[in-house]
Amino acid sequence: MSLIIKHCRSNGITSSFNLRIWRLNSTSMDVAAKKGEEEEEFRVLDILKKRDKVQKKVARRNDVQPDRADRMAVDQNWGNVWPGPKTFHPSSVPLPIRQGYVPKGQAPPGKKANAELMKIPNFLHLTPPVVKAQCEAIKQYCTEWPKLLNSEEAIEKHYPVEVITSDYCHASPSIRNPLARIVTLRVKLATLNLDKHARDKFLRLVGDRYDEKTDLVTITADRCPARKQNLDYVDYLLTACYHESLNVEEWEKDKTEDDMEYYDWDKNASKKSLVQWYLRMKNENVDLKDEQFIEYDISQIPNAESYKNAVSSLMNDGENESTVNNYAKEVRALLGLPEKLVV
Amino acid sequence: MYSNIILPKQWSRFTCFCRSLSSIEGQKLPQSSKSSDGISPPPRIPRSPTDILQALAATVGADPTAAHYKYHDDPYLIPLSNFRKRAYALSAEAGRKAAAWIRDEHAEWFTTREWDPPGKMKTPYFNADPIIDAFAPRPIYNDESKVTEEDLKKTIEHALLDDSIKIFQLLGGVEGVTDNNLKLSFLQLLCFYNEKEPDSLEWLEERWFSANTKDRHAATWKLGGLADKIFASLEQKTPEAYCTVIQGMAKHYQAERAYMLCQEAIEHGIPLSTSVFNTLLGCIGFLKEGTALRIETLKQLLAQMEELGLSPNEETLTSCLRSISAWGGGKVLQKMAQQILSEFRQLGIQPGLSAYYYLLCLFCKERGPRIDILSNILTDLENREKLIPKETTDTNFFITAMGICSDHLQDIDMAERLHALLMKDDNYKLVGDAYKESIYYRHFVTVACRHASFERKTQLLDTLVPNVYVPEPSVMEEIIKTLEVAGAGDRLTQAWSQLVIFGIANRTRLVERLLSAMCSCYEFQTNDIKVKIRDAASEILKFGKLTEEDGKNNNNDRRSPQKRLSADAITNIIELCSDVKDKSDPAWDTISEGLQRLKQTEATGVPTKPQVLADLAQKAASMGKLGIAATALQYLAECGFEEASPASVDTLAVILNRPQQEVETMLQQRSDIERALHPSALAVLDAYYMAKTGAPTRDSGSSTSSDSDSESSSDDE
Repeated sequence: MSLIIKHCRSNGITSSFNLRIWRLNSTSMDVAAKKGEEEEEFRVLDILKKRDKVQKKVARRNDVQPDRADRMAVDQNWGNVWPGPKTFHPSSVPLPIRQGYVPKGQAPPGKKANAELMKIPNFLHLTPPVVKAQCEAIKQYCTEWPKLLNSEEAIEKHYPVEVITSDYCHASPSIRNPLARIVTLRVKLATLNLDKHARDKFLRLVGDRYDEKTDLVTITADRCPARKQNLDYVDYLLTACYHESLNVEEWEKDKTEDDMEYYDWDKNASKKSLVQWYLRMKNENVDLKDEQFIEYDISQIPNAESYKNAVSSLMNDGENESTVNNYAKEVRALLGLPEKLVV
Repeated sequence: MYSNIILPKQWSRFTCFCRSLSSIEGQKLPQSSKSSDGISPPPRIPRSPTDILQALAATVGADPTAAHYKYHDDPYLIPLSNFRKRAYALSAEAGRKAAAWIRDEHAEWFTTREWDPPGKMKTPYFNADPIIDAFAPRPIYNDESKVTEEDLKKTIEHALLDDSIKIFQLLGGVEGVTDNNLKLSFLQLLCFYNEKEPDSLEWLEERWFSANTKDRHAATWKLGGLADKIFASLEQKTPEAYCTVIQGMAKHYQAERAYMLCQEAIEHGIPLSTSVFNTLLGCIGFLKEGTALRIETLKQLLAQMEELGLSPNEETLTSCLRSISAWGGGKVLQKMAQQILSEFRQLGIQPGLSAYYYLLCLFCKERGPRIDILSNILTDLENREKLIPKETTDTNFFITAMGICSDHLQDIDMAERLHALLMKDDNYKLVGDAYKESIYYRHFVTVACRHASFERKTQLLDTLVPNVYVPEPSVMEEIIKTLEVAGAGDRLTQAWSQLVIFGIANRTRLVERLLSAMCSCYEFQTNDIKVKIRDAASEILKFGKLTEEDGKNNNNDRRSPQKRLSADAITNIIELCSDVKDKSDPAWDTISEGLQRLKQTEATGVPTKPQVLADLAQKAASMGKLGIAATALQYLAECGFEEASPASVDTLAVILNRPQQEVETMLQQRSDIERALHPSALAVLDAYYMAKTGAPTRDSGSSTSSDSDSESSSDDE
């Protein structure tokens, strides 16, 4: 069974550059012979003491022609001799091939009657000249590549949505494979141009379908029986998520600090403490409200900006050596303490 | 290599038409394959589902070392003789037939789903998806079947003639079927096939190998058959019905009734089609006797066409020429044909391959004068972009033209031009079937052997033999002759192995021809080729013995007695083998074997070159092979050749190492020389006296080495 995975940019551009073919293992089961259970048979008493029959000499047919490999011209077109995939045959291949395991010091068996050579798939039908000739032959059905799509970036820019499907080839009465219905859609989140709120909502909607490292949202659909339906369904899912994330519902205003998906320093107690500490340093006793704290401009506080970043990264990225060290450094800078001494 | 010209079904024309439409729609539309804005994909270049496959297939050329791809690519399974080619291909097809038989016989096994519990299945289900009708079991109709007009429609569509007749009868015959259109299409089917089930299109090999089933030119139309009945029962006789029946009758040579019906239709003012007149033109020969009357009728029919306002087409031209070529030869007819051709040319109708075929038949008679119309025909065909087969007789063109190149014109350049035309594009399908192909190559190889340069000949033979064409014995003889003239000893030895492989090594005449060819060009060869020739000669002798033993073992199978090699051939073998310098050479075994055969009169006739044997005796004596020398001389003496006595003297001179005169004087006293001789050389002496007196002087039971040899060999047998 072979499998062709079609990888295409949505909006109708089918790119053959991402076409991959895998040949899967044949589905036949390997039945392992159980060695331990082999029963030993009783010996048979040979009364007549029959001699082993002498094998009759098989007369060789005298009209078998020599290998056609011997008659081949050195400048022949190999593509004519081996036009398609087929099992290795020694009499048609004019190469002194050897294959097979042998004890050390011996030459591997030659090409004649060599099952090892027949087992492995050969690519004698896909020699470089043949590939070239075939490419030339089907060029008449190829359209020109759009000029402006000359780089990966340009393609990503103009065709941000990727659709991945798989095709299967069988040797069976049916040409259908249920796995061919599965459709995967991938899109870079950045290309959706969402604002902060919409992005947050979108991520909450797609859940673990978003990969932070690559910034890709991957939506896979296999619930419908036909590929077309699944394709429509992934389109629908993307559209629905996008528009839903742009909506702002009434209840979204009830979002509290606990519901935040990330640590916003401006809204947290840390800023409040900093501002209060700063004001007290200046001996200004101002009673500020929560909103005022949030809007307070910290640029006048020395080292506050980097302190803010250090705290944010500590909270957002989690505790690790670098964030903690960074935090320690920034706190020292803020409070005017000396640099950490190397003891 | 298969002929793709299949025209027995009416609907094939229709599908052909559909295909051409789709190709117009698919391929030829002008369009830009460029993207409009540099970003959006350009419009797809439309293509049919098989276009890519065809483009890929066009990259694969012919491989002269390989057999046709229908055979297994294995030295043991590649057929090398015509008999094997046929047997292997037909055996493979017999397997397919057996499978089809099981499918039809046990149709119920092919409609079950594997995972359905027995008895639970509600509707027939096919595992295959999509269902391919050609692979599904065929419905069987018998007297109990419940049939509808739908079934009849379906069977007519698939051209299943027997089934449709059965359904028609089940439906109640002429009265039962009420739908006039259905009746008409059934009538068309019956008329096209003359109520005879056609050969299935499924069996390609059978069609390819079917021995040339020549169309019977006889009135085969079934009078009062089902077609006639249906036509009579039609209340309203439409033009289509008339056209169908007239064409059917004319096609199957019921000329008079077709002609009558045609005149009747014209009287009633029923419009007729061009193809009606085309078929009528094709069977004028059955209507009238005598050339003058026939020509008159032909002209009448053409005039009638003009009256009715029917424009002639290519088929009209073909059927005119077909009729004319069937009426014999002669200046009148040839002139008539030329007139018709030029008139059609004026109308802008180009003759097709069939028309040219009939022209060749008319002009190039076997014993007639040489008329070179072929070169003009070839120029015309070469200038055409593509040869499109239209009629089944189109396949006769190439074989006939090659036959004319070979027999009538004896022109190799013309043959090469014709062959180049056949090899162009996919014109090879016009070669017809296996029978026609082999005749085509027979003519081609013959003319090449006679008139082509030696390089071209060998190149041609290397590419054609044996995978494309296996030479028949007559062609093989031609080839051997050519090789002899060119003095190609190496190729002559190959010719022997080819004879064995092609299964014609038991043709004595051919083998004798080959041996004499080897002999005549032996002395000009280099030493290693001489060795090869010697080996081949001894092989020939061995092969003859083998086949003889075979014949003895299964005597019952042999229909005719095995022909033996002539004494001449065996002398040739001996001559070839005796050219060795070494005493222990295995060639001496062959020589003694050959001599035994000669002596036991296992060979027909007597040698025409006894000097060979005399020389052999001398040479053998000088090598110390006294037995062989004695046998040769004895044979010569027994046969009464004059050479026997001088040869014996010479041989004795060699044995005794004395001059001839001395030996001759010694021979006067028999006892003297007997004493001087080695016992094994006494046989030479016998031969001498036998040649002198004409009778053996001593008992033949003497213990000479040669006699003991012959005894042991006769024991073996």
